[in-house]
Amino acid sequence: MKTIKLFKSLTILLGVFVILSCEDRLEVIPEDDVASNTVFTSGATINGAVVGIYSRHQSGDLNGNPQLISEFMADNVRFVGSFPSLQEIDQFETLATNATIDNIWLDAYELIGAANNIIVNLPGVDAGDLPDLTEAQKAQFIGEAQFLRAVINFQLVNLFAQPYQFSNGTNLGIPIVTEAFTGDISPFQNERSTVNEVHAFIEQDLRDAIASLPEDNGVRASAGAARALLARLAMYREDWTTAADFANQVINSGEYALAADYDFYDDNTTSSELIFIVVNTPGDGPRDQEDNVSDEVYVNFFNPAPGGRGDAPFSPDLIAAFAAEAGDRRFDELSQAASDAGGTDTFFTTKYPDVVNNASNGMVLRITEMYLIRAEANLRGGLSVGDTPTNDINLLRNRAGLADLGAVDLAAISLERRKELCFEGHRRMDLLRNNMNLRPGGGPESAPGADKVIFPIVDDEITNNPNITQNPGSF
Amino acid sequence: MKVKNYWIVLCCLLFGITATFGQEKTVTGTVTDQGGLPLPGASIVVVGTTQGTQTDFDGNYSITASVGQVLRFSYIGLLTIDRSVDASTTTINVQLQEDAQALEEVVVIGYGNQEQRKIIQNVALVKEEAIQDLQVVSADQLLQGQSAGTQIVNASGVLGSAAVIRVRGVNSINSGSQPLIVIDGVPISDTDNTLLRGGNTGINPLSYVNPNDIASLTVLKDAGATSIYGSRGANGVILITTKKGRKNQRTSVTLDVNTQFSESTDVPDILTADQFRQFKAEVATLETGTPTTPEDLGLGAIGSGGEDYLAGVQRTGISQNYNLGIRGGGEKTTFFIGLDYQDVEGFIIGNDLERAGARLNLETQVNDWLKAGMNLGLTNQRLNRVGVENNINAPFTTAFLQSPVVPAFDDEGNFVQSGSFIPNIFARVALNTDELKTFRVIGNAYTEVSLLENKLTWRSEFGVDRLSIEETIRNAEFNSPGGLGQLIFVAEDRWLTNQTITYRDTFKEDHNFSVLLGLNYEETLRTRSNVSSTGFLTDGLRNIGSGSTPTVLNGDRDPSRLYGLFSRVTYDYKGKYLVEGSIRRDGSSRFGANNRFGYFWSGAVGWTLSEEPFIQDLNFFDYLSLRGSIGTVGNDRLGTFPSLGLFAAGPIGDYNGESGVIPNQAENPDLKWEESQTLDIGIRTSFANSRINFNVSYFKKNTTDLLLNQRLPPQTGFNSISRNIGELENTGWEFDLSTVNIRTEDFEWRTSFNLTTIDNEIIQLNEDAATDLQGRRIIDGAIQRAIEGESLNNFFLIRYVGVNSQTGDAEWLDVNGNITTTPTSADRVVTGSPLPDFSGGMTNTVRYKNFDFSALVNYSYGNDVVIDGLRFADGNDAIGGIVNIRTQNLNFWRQPGDNAFLPSPTSATFNTFNQRSDLQQLDASYLRLKNVTLGYNFPQSVLDRLGGVINGIRLYATATNLLTIKRDELDGIDPEVTDDIDPRFQGESFFTAPQAISYLFGARLTF
Repeated sequence: MKTIKLFKSLTILLGVFVILSCEDRLEVIPEDDVASNTVFTSGATINGAVVGIYSRHQSGDLNGNPQLISEFMADNVRFVGSFPSLQEIDQFETLATNATIDNIWLDAYELIGAANNIIVNLPGVDAGDLPDLTEAQKAQFIGEAQFLRAVINFQLVNLFAQPYQFSNGTNLGIPIVTEAFTGDISPFQNERSTVNEVHAFIEQDLRDAIASLPEDNGVRASAGAARALLARLAMYREDWTTAADFANQVINSGEYALAADYDFYDDNTTSSELIFIVVNTPGDGPRDQEDNVSDEVYVNFFNPAPGGRGDAPFSPDLIAAFAAEAGDRRFDELSQAASDAGGTDTFFTTKYPDVVNNASNGMVLRITEMYLIRAEANLRGGLSVGDTPTNDINLLRNRAGLADLGAVDLAAISLERRKELCFEGHRRMDLLRNNMNLRPGGGPESAPGADKVIFPIVDDEITNNPNITQNPGSF
Repeated sequence: MKVKNYWIVLCCLLFGITATFGQEKTVTGTVTDQGGLPLPGASIVVVGTTQGTQTDFDGNYSITASVGQVLRFSYIGLLTIDRSVDASTTTINVQLQEDAQALEEVVVIGYGNQEQRKIIQNVALVKEEAIQDLQVVSADQLLQGQSAGTQIVNASGVLGSAAVIRVRGVNSINSGSQPLIVIDGVPISDTDNTLLRGGNTGINPLSYVNPNDIASLTVLKDAGATSIYGSRGANGVILITTKKGRKNQRTSVTLDVNTQFSESTDVPDILTADQFRQFKAEVATLETGTPTTPEDLGLGAIGSGGEDYLAGVQRTGISQNYNLGIRGGGEKTTFFIGLDYQDVEGFIIGNDLERAGARLNLETQVNDWLKAGMNLGLTNQRLNRVGVENNINAPFTTAFLQSPVVPAFDDEGNFVQSGSFIPNIFARVALNTDELKTFRVIGNAYTEVSLLENKLTWRSEFGVDRLSIEETIRNAEFNSPGGLGQLIFVAEDRWLTNQTITYRDTFKEDHNFSVLLGLNYEETLRTRSNVSSTGFLTDGLRNIGSGSTPTVLNGDRDPSRLYGLFSRVTYDYKGKYLVEGSIRRDGSSRFGANNRFGYFWSGAVGWTLSEEPFIQDLNFFDYLSLRGSIGTVGNDRLGTFPSLGLFAAGPIGDYNGESGVIPNQAENPDLKWEESQTLDIGIRTSFANSRINFNVSYFKKNTTDLLLNQRLPPQTGFNSISRNIGELENTGWEFDLSTVNIRTEDFEWRTSFNLTTIDNEIIQLNEDAATDLQGRRIIDGAIQRAIEGESLNNFFLIRYVGVNSQTGDAEWLDVNGNITTTPTSADRVVTGSPLPDFSGGMTNTVRYKNFDFSALVNYSYGNDVVIDGLRFADGNDAIGGIVNIRTQNLNFWRQPGDNAFLPSPTSATFNTFNQRSDLQQLDASYLRLKNVTLGYNFPQSVLDRLGGVINGIRLYATATNLLTIKRDELDGIDPEVTDDIDPRFQGESFFTAPQAISYLFGARLTF
């Protein structure tokens, strides 16, 4: 009996010991993520949260797919299939359930949410409380978040709403989100604002950013980048004075200059050509948020196999446009002959050359576009800001190894614009805003104003937001 | 030897006494068990007398009896056999068959065991006898078709693929719907730590236990059985017990060697190169209105050759399997040693598996109150992986898609580039390396202290599950310019302790009770590093260190801990009235501080009617019982930190060399345990001399506070949030019937049959759930949609009608049921369900003299599958029309009256024909001859002639998936596929490789 008593007490002791020690051990914290509430505890972590917005901007659904789609929906790329979701878009049969546009929508609002987190919460942080944060830095961080939010809102409204020209901007645009999610979903079921309202919101973000951003901010957003985007927005709205003015400001800022050649496409982040780009590196390329794997688009789609998929070669129309004037370095130096995914011999762009690491940069804003905007705005607005359209265009032609033109008209500027900016995601909007069919000889489905030259509001938004309105047409 | 001598003396004495009677004679012989092993200690009595004897260690006996008397052979747990003694008899050898109705048997249950007769939990038991002659690759296949309520779908024919295991349907809608698997008391981890290769099924966690080492499997189904596993019991629990030695048994050695040949079951017919050329030319001619030749389309001339990719990715896989089991025991110590080696070649090129395993199970009785032991299994495995599906490295997907006119080799036989993103799959497989090496240790060590005349038992277990994974990828220059190397190391370490104290007692003879108190603590840590590098000078430089641009893709650790206290009390009166209750309190590091602990309980009652005189008077039932249980279980499978608001770091947050963080998970501090409440009622019967057993159960399982990564409104900036989103109900019936149809000395035929029906319904979803156009709350997916008030799994698609024979247009139905040629996403309706109306299995076992034959059939009725890959394999325009298609596409509409598969090339619907619709939804009802085995055991006389060294020789042949009965529309498609273990995507497949049909020949020697 003695042994049993001993055994009993030992068991009880052991039991109590184990019970007590085990409960404490249930406190386990993540080792590779940080809790939300630690983000605003130091200047370094706040900077990290701003860096995170740029990182989100690398996503192939924000920098890659929208540009690819804009090229093949228009006349620059003859798309050779691959994903059914891209094919639907190519054939102007996009449905609301289309996975590609769904990802664009979701990733865009992810970025906007990350930006809103800074824009909404950082003003409440007292810079005096944090040793490594100054008021100027605080303002700059907010400005950077506003700039990136503007870039994405602009991209969304261009894809999911008819352009300004459709009804002077009174048609529906996209929902404007200004808050950061904390658990209550009601501020995130907004109705769509009109295109004018969205444009005004973007403009306000950019004007605020111009005021708070430095002129030189490395690869991060600068005041010049905000001015450049504002110039583009104004041109899309046919506000020629503003467009010419801001483009001119950027050209004359001294921060940027036309590069001598086209090397800036190849992993060159410091070229004077570049106003704002998305920097992709081998170790840090485009990634999908959900499963944290590469969702790179530029290198993959714009290059022939085996480095790429061979999906997005030059269209015959673009080849013809270059062939019409021989010796264009933008073709000779920026294309390669190869067969596409369908086995047809054609040409591919070399603007995204890093097939080894899938890490070429995305051209968001470069100085060339400012010359093109200034030329177009001066011409169409009857203005004479900075320099003449002919001089601006000849500057670009000379770099391309082409002779001067004596005079330019809108067609000449548009052609230059096409040859300069092809494969960079401008073509669809350039055609639509100029009231031109997306496809040469295209039918009513690809005509400006047609239901499916824009995307439907995605199914995820429709089913989770009772206040949303779908675009006209059958989706 | 002492004992043997004693019996010889006794026999002599008996002989001496009985020799005085006239026609008496001595009968000798051997008693063996079902497996042909000698059975020591079997008793032999002369019916109607007091004479009797027992067999010796070698199963031999000798007894004296008169002609006309009957000898009765019996052994606990085995069926008793009577043999009469006639004038010519001198030798009677008998083989005692296992008694399936031996209700005295002890069954392994959660944290203990229980006499089968007294079980009032709903458990399905698969015993050693039922599986010992089944030759399978992994343990999940042992369960297939064997018991009601357990549905197993092999995901694909790719080696090492996980099977989808569902115990009583889908009880949860997050990805954690697989049951908890416990091997000898160690709950094993089934996290998938490897890179996905298309689909979402991962590596099979059950490939780490050698099926030949398994003694029995118990599937715990109702809350009465599973609530003792608390927060992890909701999806059912599968207890695997490995083989143990037996005390005082001669050491037996079993050597099993077999060879297997496998091929694919069924593949679709796709176009040959010339069919492809002709089709494209004909279509182009009609589309453009001008005669077009294949050459015009760049497809080469008819007859200019091509490649049969589908044939090229298949082969006859030849596999070897060696298995050694050594089992024995002395007075105090028992042991089992298992060794196995497998060299498996899949029927898909590049898919090989090499596996070596060892097991040692040891137990020793130290003294009269202390027992100690250890169960330890080691597995070392090397798998050459191929893509499973929907992946350009998946041989089957790529072989389906690749245009047959694209050459794979040049004239010298060198690989050539395909020119498109669909790669030269032969070059991928031949030149790239994709190797997964795993080493896994699962085991425990225990002590058991018994006190108070063995009424009180304290069992103390320490267990470990350590998994090491090394995945090496090396893509050659030809396939990836610059080359690519990738190396992933994962270590998943789990250690745990179970401390249980059991007190069992009987008072006033009839009142039996037991109390169990227990503690369970588990710590799991998963560490991963994933590095890659590019820029290799030549393919000869194999490892990541040689690449010029190294990248760290992942480097992280996931800790989690679980701590449970539990108790179970049982009471019965004369084994007639039984009551049982259990409770468990679980704490998990996965849950927020507000809801860290969960309580789970169950109560069960049983009434053994066959103990009642009024039933006994009927003289019909050998056993009859009613049983019912109610209780709760939980589910904690929702990631490691589901309740916290988190910002992610690493490349996902970094930019241009600056480190950053990005919102990754929205906070939900109120996240609660998902809880399932189960009601279970059942009847167990046994009649006609226990030759017929029939069990029925009904269950109703309500899961509340369903855990789900709920889709948030996109404007929130978060994809989803972990939330408790609603309630789900599963109801169903389970039927198990087993019969001994014929039983004579030389011939026996047994049948067991089971059938399960399960209905599931979403009872309620949260108010802020997404809604459909009718305002019903839904959980939306690309192909399936869960709808409040209806099933969790509904295929939600546009309805396809067919090609109008007059117009040549493809036609669909709009949401109102009217014909349309331009359907939209608003026209989607519920078109089918991946859940079967009923499913189950049937086994027939026939034994004739030394031959045995068994056939296992499994079936599923009323379920659909959506083969998403048909959007590519049908129609003309998929992927820009560059891919191959199925042969039925040759039947396109040409003129009015045509009954065509494909619309007219000039129709506006020609290119929209293959859009997602129920055209890709197929009826997947099937009946499959899963396993057929024919065996022959050499008779004792032959063995004797071999000198008595060998105690048994068995030759056998097994065919797997020999025959499948399915709908015509499933021609070329395996009905038993799924590409995702997530219940919301059940029954969806892209181009999942079919299951293998295999033929296996082997021999088993017993020494």
